[in-house]
Formats: sequence, C-alpha cells, structure tokens
Amino acid sequence: MKNRIIKILLVVLTLGFFACDDELNELQPFIEGNPETFFNSLSTFQNGVDGIYSQLVNYYANPGSGMQGIPDILSDNVVLVQTGRTSNEDYYDYRYVPNTAGALQLYWSECYEAINVANLVIGQIDNLADGPEKDNILGQALAARAYAHFDLARTYAKIPSQSGDANGSPGIVYLKVEDGDTGDPFAQPSRETVGSNYAEIIGDLETAAQIIGTGNGEGRLDRNGVYGILSRVYLYNGEYQKAIDAANQVTTQLATASELEDVFTDVSSAGLVFELAINTSTETTNNNVGVLYSQSSADAVISEYAIEFEFWSSIDPDDLRRNVLQFVGTNQGNDYNAVKKFLGEAGQVNGRVDIKVIRAAEVLLNKAEAQFELGQEAAALASLDELRAQRFASFVSGGETGQALEDAIQFNRRVELAFEGHRFFDLKRRGENIERSTAGDIIDGSGTPAEVQTLSAGDTRFQLPIPLSEINANPNMEQNDGY
Amino acid sequence: MLTPLLVLCMTFSFAQEKTVTGNVTDENGLPLPGVSVVVVGTTTGAQTDFDGNYSITASEGQQLQFSYLGQSTVTIRIGASNVIDVQMQEDAETLEEVVVVGYGSKSRELSTSAVSTVKTEAIEAFVPSTSIDNILQGQAAGVQVTAANGRPGNTAFVQIRGVGSINAQTTPLYVIDGTPIPIDTERDFNPINNLNPADIESLSILKDAATVSKYGSRGANGVVLITTKKGRSGDARINFRSSYGFGERIPDPFDVMNAAQKLELERQYAELGVNAATSLPGANADDAERARLIGLDTNWEEELLRKSVIQSNSLTVSGGNEDITYFLSLGYDKNTGIIDRIKGFERVSARLNTTYNAKDWLTLGANISLSRSTTDLPRDRNNVQNPFRGMYDYNPWDPLFLRDGDGNIQRDSQGDPIYNPTTTGFPIALALQTEPEDRRDFTIIGNLSADVRFSDNFSNRFSVGAVSNRFNRTSRSIAGGVLQGFIGDANFPGTQTDNFNLDFEYNVNNLFTYSDTFNGVHNVSASFLLEYNENIRTDLRATSRGFPSPDIPYQEVAAEPTAAGSEEARRILFSQGLFVDYDYDGKYILSGSVRRDGSSRFGPENKYGYFYSASAAWNIANENFMEGSIFNNLKLRASYGTSGNQNIPDNEFLNLLDFNTYNGLTTAIPVGVGNPEIQWESQAILDIGIEFGLFNNRINGVVDYFKKNSEDLLLASPLSSTVGDELDDIFANVGEVENSGIEVSLNADVIRSENFVWSLGGNVTFLDNEVVSLVNGEDIITGTFGNIILREGAPLNSYYLVRYAGVNPANGEPLYLDADGNVTNEYSDNFQVLLDDKSPIADFEGGFFTNFRYKGFGLRGDFVYRKGNHILNIQRQQGIAIGNINRNQRVEAFNYWKEPGDQNVLPSPRFQNTADQAGTTRFLEPGDFLRLRTLTLDYNFPRELLGDFGISNLRIFATGQNIWTLTNFNGDPEIGLGSAESGEPGDQGFVQGEFNLFSYPQVRSYTFGIEVGF
Repeated sequence: MKNRIIKILLVVLTLGFFACDDELNELQPFIEGNPETFFNSLSTFQNGVDGIYSQLVNYYANPGSGMQGIPDILSDNVVLVQTGRTSNEDYYDYRYVPNTAGALQLYWSECYEAINVANLVIGQIDNLADGPEKDNILGQALAARAYAHFDLARTYAKIPSQSGDANGSPGIVYLKVEDGDTGDPFAQPSRETVGSNYAEIIGDLETAAQIIGTGNGEGRLDRNGVYGILSRVYLYNGEYQKAIDAANQVTTQLATASELEDVFTDVSSAGLVFELAINTSTETTNNNVGVLYSQSSADAVISEYAIEFEFWSSIDPDDLRRNVLQFVGTNQGNDYNAVKKFLGEAGQVNGRVDIKVIRAAEVLLNKAEAQFELGQEAAALASLDELRAQRFASFVSGGETGQALEDAIQFNRRVELAFEGHRFFDLKRRGENIERSTAGDIIDGSGTPAEVQTLSAGDTRFQLPIPLSEINANPNMEQNDGY
Repeated sequence: MLTPLLVLCMTFSFAQEKTVTGNVTDENGLPLPGVSVVVVGTTTGAQTDFDGNYSITASEGQQLQFSYLGQSTVTIRIGASNVIDVQMQEDAETLEEVVVVGYGSKSRELSTSAVSTVKTEAIEAFVPSTSIDNILQGQAAGVQVTAANGRPGNTAFVQIRGVGSINAQTTPLYVIDGTPIPIDTERDFNPINNLNPADIESLSILKDAATVSKYGSRGANGVVLITTKKGRSGDARINFRSSYGFGERIPDPFDVMNAAQKLELERQYAELGVNAATSLPGANADDAERARLIGLDTNWEEELLRKSVIQSNSLTVSGGNEDITYFLSLGYDKNTGIIDRIKGFERVSARLNTTYNAKDWLTLGANISLSRSTTDLPRDRNNVQNPFRGMYDYNPWDPLFLRDGDGNIQRDSQGDPIYNPTTTGFPIALALQTEPEDRRDFTIIGNLSADVRFSDNFSNRFSVGAVSNRFNRTSRSIAGGVLQGFIGDANFPGTQTDNFNLDFEYNVNNLFTYSDTFNGVHNVSASFLLEYNENIRTDLRATSRGFPSPDIPYQEVAAEPTAAGSEEARRILFSQGLFVDYDYDGKYILSGSVRRDGSSRFGPENKYGYFYSASAAWNIANENFMEGSIFNNLKLRASYGTSGNQNIPDNEFLNLLDFNTYNGLTTAIPVGVGNPEIQWESQAILDIGIEFGLFNNRINGVVDYFKKNSEDLLLASPLSSTVGDELDDIFANVGEVENSGIEVSLNADVIRSENFVWSLGGNVTFLDNEVVSLVNGEDIITGTFGNIILREGAPLNSYYLVRYAGVNPANGEPLYLDADGNVTNEYSDNFQVLLDDKSPIADFEGGFFTNFRYKGFGLRGDFVYRKGNHILNIQRQQGIAIGNINRNQRVEAFNYWKEPGDQNVLPSPRFQNTADQAGTTRFLEPGDFLRLRTLTLDYNFPRELLGDFGISNLRIFATGQNIWTLTNFNGDPEIGLGSAESGEPGDQGFVQGEFNLFSYPQVRSYTFGIEVGF
C-alpha cells in the first residue's frame, strides 16, 4: 500500500518536473525593454530622443571630466590651485597618454553611446506615421547625432580651420544607421578623414534644420539650437558665409545686462539656444558639474582651478561679466579667484546648474568672427557691439578695425564664454599657441604658476589620444601622432 | 545573551540507580574520545570525553554498549563494580571513512574521485575567523584561498585547481546539507559569511570530474559540500565555548615620514623645481613655523586605527534517541575591526538540525539556520576617504584637530574639538562618523528531506532546500558632516538612502536510487536525479533628505523623498541526471554520470548543456597479494569528465533597453549589447590519483595529477566603443585555457604514545596554466588598469607592463625599454610587453601543520605558503610618487638620485613625468610568503580535577593568528582585492591579487578562550 502511494506521488512529481522546461523558456527581463519593439509611438520615440540628451549630459556635466570644464583646464583660462585635489592635473600639464583616466576615456565612449541611441531612433523612425511630429523626432536625433560626432571630431582630430593638412588627416568614425554602419557589435571600424567627418556632421545638421520643430521645451534641441550649432560648425569648417547665414536663423535674444547673472543661477533662460537641463539631484546623484572647478562647504571653498590671474586682471572693471565669472574662494587661509559660473542654482553652492551648450552670445560671436574673416569689418564690429552693449553699464563702441577688431572679438569671446568649454577649441581651431602666464594660483597672482607654460600650435597634444582600451579592442583604430 | 539559556539547559538528572564510570581506549591503549555509550534498551546514552572517560547512570544487570566508528562494538553487562574500563579493537570490516560526495555519501574506499575533506578538528583551531571560506586556506590540496581583504566578516576568494574561468566569478559552488548557496561576488552577496563555523561537521571539496560533473553546469569551479553537525542518540551533550581577543594591523616593512622628515623632503623637492612642492610649508615656512609644525608631529595610523576586539561565544546542545536526534546551536561573534570610530562586524546565529525515523521505511530530516549580521561599510577606495589610504596620505605636520595660534585644540560652540580638514580637504576621522554606511543581513538556510526505502533495492530521497537573505543597507550623510557641506542643501539637512534586497533561492530535488548485489561480488547502483532551482531577487530602495535630527535614522521623519526604485530578477536552472556505480568486491570500481542542465541565462539555441563523467578505481590493498604488506590502504584511481559554467549575469544573450530620466522625463537607452550566440563554458578534467595509508594509517597521503581544460570561456570581451555599448563589452565565448598540476597531501603521526602525540601534515599544489586559444588568436588586454594580458601560448593572466631599466647614473633620469628592447628615456604605453612567467598566479602553494599533544597540553601551528606569484605594488608607487609630495611619503623617498654616479636610487624628482608611472616592472614584486596562520596552545583539564561539578570536559586555549610572516614583498603579501572601488569580482578586467591599493589590510590577532562540556 505504502509503496503504491509513494510511487504515484513520484510519478506526479516527475511529471511536474518536466513541465519546468516552460518556466525556463518563458522567463523575460523584468526591468528592461526590448530595443527592437519598444519604439512604436511618438512618446516612446521621444523617450529615445531624451535618452540621447541624457548621454550628452553624461559627458558635459561629469563632475570630474565634464566638457564644460576640461577645454578650459586645457587652456590659459585657469590655473591649478595647489590646495585643491589636483584633479585633472594630467590634463592641465598636458601629460595625458592613451590610458590616462578621465576626460579622454569619457568623451570617447559617451559620445558613441549618444550616437548609438540616435541611430536606434533614426533606424526605426518609419514606425511613425509621416508628419511634422515624426520630422521633429528625426530632426532632434539627427542633430544630436551630428553634435556628438562634432564633439568627438574636435577632441580627437584636427579641426579643418586649424591647419592646411587638417581635412586630409585622420578624423573619427562617423556612424549612420541608414548607411549600414551599425548593428554588428564586433565591428572594428577604421578612422575616416576630418574632411569627410565635417561633411557628414553638416549634412546631418542641415537635414535636421529643415525638419525639426521650433520649440521643444527646456533641455531639447529645436530649430534655433540646430542653427546655433551650425553657426559654430561652419566657423570650425571655415565656411564663413554659411556661419553668418546660420547665425541669422537663430531667433533667440541675447541675455541682457540685467538678466546675465540670473542665467548662471538658472533663474533666467535668457539667451539660451541649447542647454542640457539638470534639475534634480537624483539625475546627477549629487555628482555635479561645478565640482570640476570647486567644491564649497560652510568652512571652505576647495577650488581645483582658479581664474588665471592675468586673464582676470585684463578684464575691464566695468565689464558686467566679472560678476558672473569670479568670487573669492578661501581655503587653508588662501584666497583664490574662484570660478562662479558653476557654483549652483540661486542660493546653492552644490555645483549643480544646467549646461549651457549654445548661447545667443556665442552665435553672435560666431557671426562677428565670420564677418571679420570675410573682411566685413563694419558688420563684424556691429555684431560685436550688439553684444558689448549688453555687457557694459554704459557702452561706447570701441570702433576697432583690423587687428584690434579681431583681438576684440576674440577677447570678448574668451570673456563671454569663459569656463563653458570653449577656450581650448577656439585656440586650436585658430591654430594659435596656448600661452600661460607666470602668475601663481593665489588671488593676487602669487603662489604656484602653471608647470607647462606653452603648448605651441602644431603640437600633437592638441589632438587628445584615442583611449588605449579602444586601440586594444579595435586593431583597426589608428592612434594619433605623438602617442 | 547566552547566560539565561545556559542556566535553562543546566538541569541535570542525577538518578539514584548508580553511576558507572570508566575509561575507553583503543587497541594501543590510547584514550578514545567520542565513543558512544548506551544503556541497551533505553534512551540513556553518553559519550567519552577527550581522555576517553565516560560516566553514565544505569542499574546493575543492564548492559552497556560501546560503539565507535572503525571499532568493533562491545557490549558489557553491569556488575557490582561502578567502574567499567573497555579496550576496543579495530574492526577491519567497519573501518571505512565516509566521504560526502555529490548527492549523497560514499565510503572513501569505494570512491573513485579526488575529494579533500576538512574536519571539525581543523576548523576549531581557527577560532578568530568568522567566515568559513577563510578557514579553508591551506587545509586542502588544490584549494587556493585568499582573503578578499582584512575587513571583518568579509569573504575570501576560493579557487579550486586554478583559474578555470576568466570571467570574474570563479567562486566554487557551496552546498550546505544539500542546499546550493547562491553567491554573487559582484554584489558582495555571500550567505556563506553568515554560517557559524561551530556548526560545521566537515567540508568536502570536490575537485575532479567524477564528482563535479554531477553538479553539471555549476560544477566547473569545483564544489564545496558543507555538512553541519547532527545529534547522536544518547544523553544531551552541552558544549559552551567563549573566546576573547584583539587584533591589530600587521606592521609594514617600511617607515613613513615624520613631520621633520616630510618638511625636509618638501624643501628638497621645491629646490629641485618640483612644482607641487613650492607651495608646501617645507618650502615656505620660516624657522618658527617649521618648529611649530614639527611640534604637531602626528602619527596618523594611531589617530585613525585601533586595536580591534574579537569576541566569540557558542553554545551547542545535542542528543537524541533511536527515533529522533537533534543538534541545537547558538553563536555570537563580534569583531570591531581596526578602523577607529566605527562598529565593525557582529553576528548572531542559531541552528536546529533534526532527524526523525518516522517509519522503518521513512526518515525525515529538517535543518534550519537563522543568522543576522551587521557590518559597517567603510569606503574601500584609492583616496583619503579610505582610512587605510588616509593613514599614509595625511601629512604628519597636519594634526587631527585644528589648533589655534597657541597650539591649543580649537573647539566648536558645543566644546567639541574641530577636526582638521587637512591639506587633503577631507577629514576621514570625522567622515567615518558623519557619513555612516552599514549593512544588515538576515539569512535563513533550511533544508527538508525525506528518505524513503521502498525495498532493499529501491530508495528515494526527496529534498527541498531554501536560502533566503534579507539585506538592508543604510547610507547616511548627516547634517553638518563632511559631505553635507559640499553636496547638501541647507534647507534639507541630511540625506539617507535605504536599500532592501530579498534574495530567495529554492532548490527541489528528487533522487531515485536502485542498488543491488549479484553473486555477492557485483555491486551495482543507479540513481536518477531531477532538480529544479530558481533564484528570485527583489530590491527596493529609497532616498530622502531633510532630517530633523541625526539621531533618527529613518526616512519617515525626512522632509522629502528624493529617489526610489524597485526591481526584480530571476534565474532558473532545471536539470536531469543519471549516476551509475559499479564495484567488483570492493576491488575494482567504475562510476559514470550524465547530466542535462537547462539555464535561463542562455538564448533559445543554447539553453541546454550536457555534462558527463567516467571514473575507475582499483583498491590494490584489497587484493590477496597485498595481505600482510605495510599498506593498509592503496588505491589507484582515474576520472575524466565535463562540467559547465554559467556564472554570467542574466540576459546577456539579449539586447536590452534601460529606462532612466532626463530632466525628469523618461529616457530609453540601450544598456547592453546582447550576444545570442553565447553558450555554456565547459570544462574537461582528467584526474589520476593514488591514495595510500601505511603502518596502520600512521602515514597516509594522496597524490593527484590533474589537467583541466576550460573551453568556450565566457568573458565580457572588450568592444570598440564605437558600438556605443554602455559597458563597452559583450559576453562571448572567447577561448580555451588549460590548468594542470600535481597535488600532494601527506599526514603522519610521527609519535603516537600514551602521553605524547606528535602529528604532522601538509599539502602542496603545483599549478601550471596556459592560454590555449583565443578568438582569431587576438590578445585580450585585461586587468583593472590594463596591466594583464591573455595571449595564446602564454601563461594565464600574464603581466603586461613597461620594462623599467633603472636610473641613468649620469643624470638621475628613469630609463625604460621600448617595445623592441632598446633603452630609452621616454615612457609610453606602447612599450608594454608580456612578461614571461610573471602573473598573479602562484606556481605552488599550500599549507602544513604540526600538532603536539602532551597529556592535557596541546600546541598546534598551521602555516600557509605561496610561491611564484607577482604583485604590482602600487601602494609603494603611491608612497614615493613625486607628484604626491603634497601627501606624506615613505622614508625611502629620500633615496633619490642626487649626483652623477649614484646607483640603486630612485629617479631624480626632476623627472616627475616619466618617474611617476605605476604600470612598470619597477613596482612588480614577487609575492612569495610563508605565514604562520594560527598558533594554538591549549590545555584540557584532567577529569580528576573536574570532580563532581557535572563537567565532562574543560579546555582553555590561546590562539595567535598571522603572528609571523616570511616575505620579501614590500608590504603585506596577502592580496585579494587591490581596491574594491577600482575593481572587484564582477568588474571588467578584475584579476585577484594583481595589485595592492589600500584595501582593508590583513590583521594579526590574539585570542583566549575556554570551552566547557557537560
């Protein structure tokens, strides 16, 4: 009797066991989606587009290596503060090599991650019905894809206007889903040329400009944003008339003198053409972009980099921009010219602010420079004065011409866009030396000066090295000269 | 906490009949402890103590039965005398050691496989260790154990027969009483940590195909079977054990600078033009300031570390009768750790193991263990947020507390001293208090089993095991603390994050067995296994800010929640297996197994894997011609078979989309690129072994040769970043590695006399390995910092570094060899080359012990050793890096090149850029060591002294751990983790023991204890 019961039990159990194969096959991921089926509606496509922006945030707002700071640290705008953590010293002293941690690793991978999301969206765009909404999604994805490629190209390769040989020199890998460049995870692509990179960047941006919407809300690209980017890219590419034309398409008004301070505490969005919005500490997990320059507590401001003394001294005392650039930061008994633009939103010192990628002031400066390059000095001066009129309490045009005008445009560009990630690229694209002063890090110019004073135009370190991990994983990837 | 229980349990029954006492010895007259003494026909029973003495209550005319494994049972009628001494005789028939192997146990004689067994006795010598895996070190051949680091309660890296898998998770499968234990080193999830070592009867380590194949897909890294203690029939036995001690950091073999030295080095560096030195006090301070700073001389190790307190108590009660046996245990362990200002590790555990003979054909078993541990989680990272880096980094002229002009400690409005942020800007001593992080784990491990005997030939074992672990983590940043000042919001003081994870794994298996004997000599058995295993993990987390008081660490009182999340993950494994054993008269033995596993971790095409094994053994000692030889055991055996590895994350075969937010709006981004082609990593092991016992087993040993080929290795292979993957890697089957080696273990009772016993034992494993093939023959560069390479034909995990060529005696410039071997004054990553025969893997390693017993005194020393591995000493590099002049330095830093002709010096500080490179052979050092792991002195009080207190044994002991080390390594050579936040198991490129980088160091300790049995 007992045996029979148990045998029956055993059979039942055994059968139950075989049914387990189904359990095994039906198990699905719990918190992830399927990239092949998820993009099927306008809102899900917008999720993908917002995903591209989030990847841009990853490298623009990184507290250690953000693109809002590294191009200034690589330039003559700042000086290493000895009482800081000496973060990014390898970059400040131009000691980077292919396996140096930080920015050069970050930009390489995050830009391609942004490009990957963009291509995922672009590749499935026909899941949406034709119409302006589809166009707006596609426009954002194309523009963001172009912009991420642009950041790669200007970091790791020469800039067309930098030198005569630039366009034929190694560029980066430009990935377009519509050309079949994506889909193989084991692909080992080779570098294209700078010339072909800029042609594709401009191609994507020009297409985007035709189809993107005129207003997509805070933190997203729209028509103004695309033309703003185009004005910069054309300038880098030496296409000055197109830079002027693109700048003229941007309708965003300059931040006025009275609005300027509020712009950098995120109270005002005046003059913002394209920003990356960071409004919750959840998204930054308290790793805020301002940490690049300083961290503040009740007792001290631990600056990593202070404003370079001679640069600071050269700014006119009546220049209203002084108020958004500098504050006195004290650490271990020393005062420093601390960087103010990234201190935090109104009332905060946590370093969390929106990333100002393109401002109307830059667009105007792009235009002024392009006009000057085309010999349109009067127009260039007018453009410059349009900006200066909003930056001085009582402005009288300097009436500069020739070299003085060019210097004025460049000096205003340096002051206006200081610490926003431009200076290194501006010197690089213009083929100029980086020349640092012998002033020290303390507020009065005493203290320790920069170890490396000069980076000559033509130095290979203007092109950051391709990360070693990429060279290791992809034997077809050619390293830049000098590494 | 144990005291009340102790009192409850101390009710003894002193019956009036009569108390019979006596002494039990073996045939050599040596006392036999643990002999079961039962009054026949009753449930009254006792056991002999360490000296072979027993005491039992019975009446005249009843019979006493004495039984002991390997001895003939003796039955004696009680006469008028109150003393019955017994000398037992060895019973050749029953002298068989039982080894626990996969899905059951076997007599060692009939086993065809290489199994190492570690018994309670060895475990108990390791009092201060709170974790089982640490205890395994040096105890068994072929088992390589390295503590992850010295943090109390932390786990160890255990590898069986080399690195058989190049993805990070090479932990063996642990099975406790038949219940497989899920371990995820990537998440620091290891329920083994919560097992009380006092509960363990034995550990069996399965190493060869004959046994691990039975575990199929989970067996490739080897299997550790843990058997917990069971009750024996007889009177309740109560054992209480308590120990107390302290631990301290093992001293460094080098000195760091004091204030005067550091100021002098700063001065010298500034003079030589080292930029960073020019702003330091050594360069700027006048004589008065210099004298003041020297007066502040601070020993930061003393300020940040302390002596730890190590405490352990355990109480066990066991007993039973013919139908029911029980084993109950309670344990309490505490280790404060050596970081001052935090609490350390604490664990409370309880276990009840019971068996019921419900029917003559049915035996039920239920084992359950509960334990709760708490530990704080100090940052294990490479900066001063880690006190073990801080103690080397803080300048000795920087005091712990701020000083005023007169040199007095500055105080805040509450009168508390104000911590000095120091030149680093981060006061870790304060941060340990204001940024607390701790975890609490509550672990339940249970197993229910039913053994059914249908007939003499058919039986069935059904068992259900479950492991449930509740993990709570609280991470706080208290208002007014170090981090709140930087990242906090003044309107919302304080932040807190709570994590709650529930890991639940259950395992149902059914083993149906047929066994029979034909013609009296052909013994056959066959078992059919069905097993279903599912792991379910659910997580919850929440973060809030704005706390009214630092004393209420609950988010309920917070002003607002800022983040929350929940998730779930599951894994399923479903298996069938067939195991067959045959032996001819105990002389010729054959075994075979086949198993099919289905795993949810692989795509539809590759879900199922098949694993098989075949093995044979010849018991030469049982042959007639061996009769009368010196061998009482001689066995040859061989096995071959396969097993698998699926230790990769879930869903690696799928492309996935991750959801997050941007500006508060949902984002969808690809999170990992899937590889639908991935399949089981498989492993084939060939093992040939010989086991022998000589001179009545006074000398016994095992020698094994093995060759282990791991194919289709699963590795997160680096991808070109242009693919746009978040991790820049993809799991793929990338190649084959081979481990081969010889294991020897030997034990001998050198002296075995009545009062004096001296035994010696030890083991050694020689290990050789090679990367056999890689996809397309392409190298894979790995390691946390890209300093390790996998190359076809080269040893596994070879170092890949730039070769250092010393200092140019002419100008003090560091020289290197370029890729072609030419000396150059430049440094480039392109100069990295594979270094022959230099890897973090030892050529040979093992352990040995020596054990003396004289009357009641015992002295046992356990040694571990390792030879042939190399370690990249980045801690040394950091301690003398010229660019670190703003941090404290090793005294060695003074020894730099000063004038032409200087030799055996460090590079001149003028060449900072090329000198401050860590990835060079300059810092690669041999990691060889010999370490006295434990030294235990104990004394067992003779029974005469214990008198009539009702105490059956009393032992006192003192143990020292890590008290002596022989090494040339410039630091502590026992390295598991370099730096957890730089790279730990599960992170891409992690290779254990590759480099040191300020992880929690090893500790030496001294403990004293007492053990009482009733």
